[in-house]
Amino acid sequence: MLLKIIACSVLAVACPATAIGSNDSPSPTFSLGGFGTFGVVHSDQDRADFTAQPFEAEGAGHSHRWSVDVDSLFGLQASARLTSKLSAVLQIISQQNYDASYTPHVEWANLKYQFTPDLSMRVGRTALGLFLVTDSRHIGFTNPWVRPPIELYGLVSVTSNDGLDVSYRLQIGDVRNTFQAAIGQTRYKFPVPNSDADGTADSKKQLSLVDSYEWGPATIRLTYGQAHVTITAFDPLFDAFRQFGPQGAGIADKYDVDDRIVSFFGFSASYEPGDWFAMAEWGRVDTHSVLGTKTGWYTSGGYRFGKVTPFVTYAQVRADTNTSDPGLNLSGLPPALAGTAESLNAELNESLAAIASQSTVSIGARWDIRKSVDLKLQFDRTRLGSNSQGWLTNLQPGFQLGSYLDIISASIDFVF
Amino acid sequence: MIVSIRIALQTLGLTLSLSAQAQADIVAVVSAESSITRLSTGQLADIFLGKVSRFPDGSLAVPVDLSDGSAERDQFYAKVTGKTPAQIKAYWSKIIFTGRGQPPKAVQNGSDMKKYVAANIDAIGYIDSTMVDNSVRVLR
Repeated sequence: MLLKIIACSVLAVACPATAIGSNDSPSPTFSLGGFGTFGVVHSDQDRADFTAQPFEAEGAGHSHRWSVDVDSLFGLQASARLTSKLSAVLQIISQQNYDASYTPHVEWANLKYQFTPDLSMRVGRTALGLFLVTDSRHIGFTNPWVRPPIELYGLVSVTSNDGLDVSYRLQIGDVRNTFQAAIGQTRYKFPVPNSDADGTADSKKQLSLVDSYEWGPATIRLTYGQAHVTITAFDPLFDAFRQFGPQGAGIADKYDVDDRIVSFFGFSASYEPGDWFAMAEWGRVDTHSVLGTKTGWYTSGGYRFGKVTPFVTYAQVRADTNTSDPGLNLSGLPPALAGTAESLNAELNESLAAIASQSTVSIGARWDIRKSVDLKLQFDRTRLGSNSQGWLTNLQPGFQLGSYLDIISASIDFVF
Repeated sequence: MIVSIRIALQTLGLTLSLSAQAQADIVAVVSAESSITRLSTGQLADIFLGKVSRFPDGSLAVPVDLSDGSAERDQFYAKVTGKTPAQIKAYWSKIIFTGRGQPPKAVQNGSDMKKYVAANIDAIGYIDSTMVDNSVRVLR
């Protein structure tokens, strides 16, 4: 609010909430707002880190007993309505990065042209809304939970698209249909566990289609996404495999992440009549690579008692493809090469074992302290799939695959 | 005889308006020039939540809000959408911070609202029923 006042007075512009001009005011209007979350998270598993998103370097458990880095973030957004049809938005977020820094990044920066009240096009960096709350996942204040269930939301961690999108809204009787199509590309960096190195994921020729139907308090969404993904961090491993003749080349061709077509299909339904909500979301990502094919889903419900909304969530992700591979056949290899082959096999299997499989039961509550501030408490019990590290990272010696962990989270969300 | 009935009706009218005042009913209004006469609660909610930008007859609908924090505004949204002020705030935060739109423009008070709605044929607002006069039309 303070910033809004500053923006209004410094820029001497009309802020929508306080001023009003004629209907199609020719003079541009600007507004500045922001959002943030301050959260602490505790995990009882001290031989691995729990993180909310895969690009976070450190989390709760091993790196910190109580971590403020998992959920905390701060964002600012400037919007400008340049003409009655043209508007611009810039959103900057500071949150823990792949290198544990909090250097802000540009989440969105786009120009939107509203051809008609029902048809619009955006150019620039926009939200990639594959999941129900992907585009608002950073704005904790808009969600009932501390964070969206990572079992599903972890399947695709990309939240923005550099390109173009078109949105069309159609009313069919009582049903409102919104169709959105986006094309573009994304690049993001992620930490390589237990090292100072970082990796880059390049996602090109991105295509996403989102079709949603709203009928009163009910919403149904169907989404499809596709991209050509390259992660060069895997190159040394698969280049080494290729040194082992046709057998090694076969393994490399099956698993490398070099211009792989990754596809996603998702379905969600939610019902929010006011006093309570129920929602369910399902998604499947097929990477045709060492990253595997995964299916995730969750169902969540809550009831509002005045300002307090308790909720329960059950979420699950499973690997649909193999999480281990016999690798190179060592018999017949000279001893010197057999040693190398064995370590390559081990590295391949380590990557395959990282294909997440886990389930979580969460209970928690959101308390609307003020109109634009909430406090949330959440308890998660996660069971890792057999032989899986789940979504955990920074594994330490002695970590047990397939174990349980309990996570306690508390956060304050605000918007202004 | 006719005169006495008229007086009786006027008295009755006065009584009705007094009781309305006591309850401080909030009503949705459009300009008296507008062709819109009625909207369902669901249609009102869709317009004020920015889900539709047109009235059912296809003409442009431009909702106008009272300023944030006004009791009438909270009362109107509770009645029309069934949502609390915090829920409405969360709803708009989602729209704003996903770049999908901006909430309705806001005016300071009921009399500004009435003036604005009366002067703009596309506008739709809400005022205390006791403020209604012939410059605006109450939607049912």
